[in-house]
Amino acid sequence: MTPMSPEVLSVILLTLQVAVVSTLIVLLPATVLGYVLARYEFAGKNVLSALVGLPLVLPPTAVGFLLLRLFAVDGPLGRETLGFDLHILLTWKGAVIATAIMSLPLVARTAKATFEGINPRLELMAHTLGHSRLTTFFQYSLPMARRGLLGAVILGFTRAMGEFGATVTIAGNIPGRTQTIAAAIFSAQQVGAQARADFFMLVAIVLGFLAILSAELLGHGRSLPSLARPS
Amino acid sequence: MTSAPSAHDSLPTGSLDGLTVRVRLPLDRFELNIDLHTEKHVTGIFGVSGAGKTSLLETICGVRRQARGSIALGEETWLDSDRGIFIKPWQRHIGYVPQDGLLFPHKDVRHNLLAGKKRGLQRGHPVQRTFETVVHILELGPLLERTVHTLSGGERQRVALGRALCSGPRLLLLDEPFASLDIALRRKLLPFLRRVRAEFQIPMLFVSHDPLEVQALCDELIVLRDGTIISHGDPRSVLTATHLFPLAEQHGFENILPCYVVEGSGSTGQVRLGEGGGNERAPVELVTVRSEAQPGEALLTGIPAHDIMVATQRPEGLSARNVLPARITQLRSVGHVGLATAELSPDLPPLTVEVTEKSFVELGLRVGSEVFLVIKATSCRLYRTGESRRA
Repeated sequence: MTPMSPEVLSVILLTLQVAVVSTLIVLLPATVLGYVLARYEFAGKNVLSALVGLPLVLPPTAVGFLLLRLFAVDGPLGRETLGFDLHILLTWKGAVIATAIMSLPLVARTAKATFEGINPRLELMAHTLGHSRLTTFFQYSLPMARRGLLGAVILGFTRAMGEFGATVTIAGNIPGRTQTIAAAIFSAQQVGAQARADFFMLVAIVLGFLAILSAELLGHGRSLPSLARPS
Repeated sequence: MTSAPSAHDSLPTGSLDGLTVRVRLPLDRFELNIDLHTEKHVTGIFGVSGAGKTSLLETICGVRRQARGSIALGEETWLDSDRGIFIKPWQRHIGYVPQDGLLFPHKDVRHNLLAGKKRGLQRGHPVQRTFETVVHILELGPLLERTVHTLSGGERQRVALGRALCSGPRLLLLDEPFASLDIALRRKLLPFLRRVRAEFQIPMLFVSHDPLEVQALCDELIVLRDGTIISHGDPRSVLTATHLFPLAEQHGFENILPCYVVEGSGSTGQVRLGEGGGNERAPVELVTVRSEAQPGEALLTGIPAHDIMVATQRPEGLSARNVLPARITQLRSVGHVGLATAELSPDLPPLTVEVTEKSFVELGLRVGSEVFLVIKATSCRLYRTGESRRA
């Protein structure tokens, strides 16, 4: 096997494709969830917070199996119930759903911490200057949180790239169709394909390192002292 | 300062909109229970920390949703819980200047100032002209392209004040805008507030802990304690009402009077009391220590009440530079101290004089007594305001 055979390349590209699409899907709901959990008090807030965090503590295979039951032919979102096939099982779309669910808690929790670090009285100022809740969120809260939110996105993206358990359970491990880097390393190691496993391991290390490095660089930019809450 | 573009040329002139606040709001330790009506330009709010001052301002802004009662400015009702009226904070047209500036870190100074532009334009407010006026009177020109985190504390507060003004507010709330600054810087910022007062016919509520600021800016003063108004009236009478307010006992009351420089050369200075409108019936001049101020410059002079002596006859052979004829208009006893209110001229705010009760009796002082006030030149502190005398 040459390192950059079309088949190897397809694994890397599929991994990036799944990670990018699931990150894009997660971004808005996770940011809004983080904002709501950081700013509002309401009945059932603790329950919502626990539900959002649940995928972090569950075995990924449990999440994958839950999705499998949902999208199974006779499941609530299966062909027999809906009358048509969503083509989720054993497809890259299934991998996207699995990785999105696994990375949402990380993005939402990081977003929540970011918004909690922004003085809510800055939003009150925006209100007194004539900005409604919605425009305050988009024109003030989001731009003020952009650095932390970028970090959250990168965290979610790396989580999506490395997701294994939930992904293989619902999307399988089909080379050229649903095999991601994480699954490729597992398969190669199972059959003793040392060089292939080594190569994907190195690719995973490089991609992960680049992602964390960019997060570090963004996090260590110009400090914004007035973002901090008064102590 | 030279001629500034005026922001309120096109705004309706004449009397100010009356502000009515009748609200109740449960707080941690007590209930905020306010019954206030004012038609004055600047109303000071005095009170110790935790007296409910910020809660009152936030209630007026509309961010305290639990508040019950009514709030109205002129014809506009912002809250009337009986009729189910609650206007949202962003529709109330209130400019709010907090203690800590709270500038938006993702915008530069110019865009902070223009953060309320859209609202101002919706109201038909001449935003561009106000922006120019604000930049001029608050001296923000050199700061416009700066990012917020490079500003000093005093600059931040000036920008916060300018930002509120540029949104075309109908009411300005100043929540101890200089409280986070040291005393020297506060004195430097006072002139900016005096300019805003002179330039903008907007009713203002001004929370302050500083008797000098209050006398220099406010037309009336309310004192809050445990969420209720315990005094409401002329700033000088309220500040010297020590049964409400142990201030005069703690630091000594300082009379603050507007004045302008007549002569600045030589080893002493000479100021004339008043705003300098030129229509004083009986001008009163005061010899002070020498200052950097130029002739014609408007100042504030501060004379501590306990540095003024009272004589029933014109004294001779004294080192004190100032012997001013005055008439006693009020006498009060506060513990072992007597406070006399003395009028120098009908055009000027009266002076409060602190003497012992014994002196009251021995001098035979009573309301209407004609006396002489003896004040050393070195007792007259001068505070610059950055204004020139009114032509």
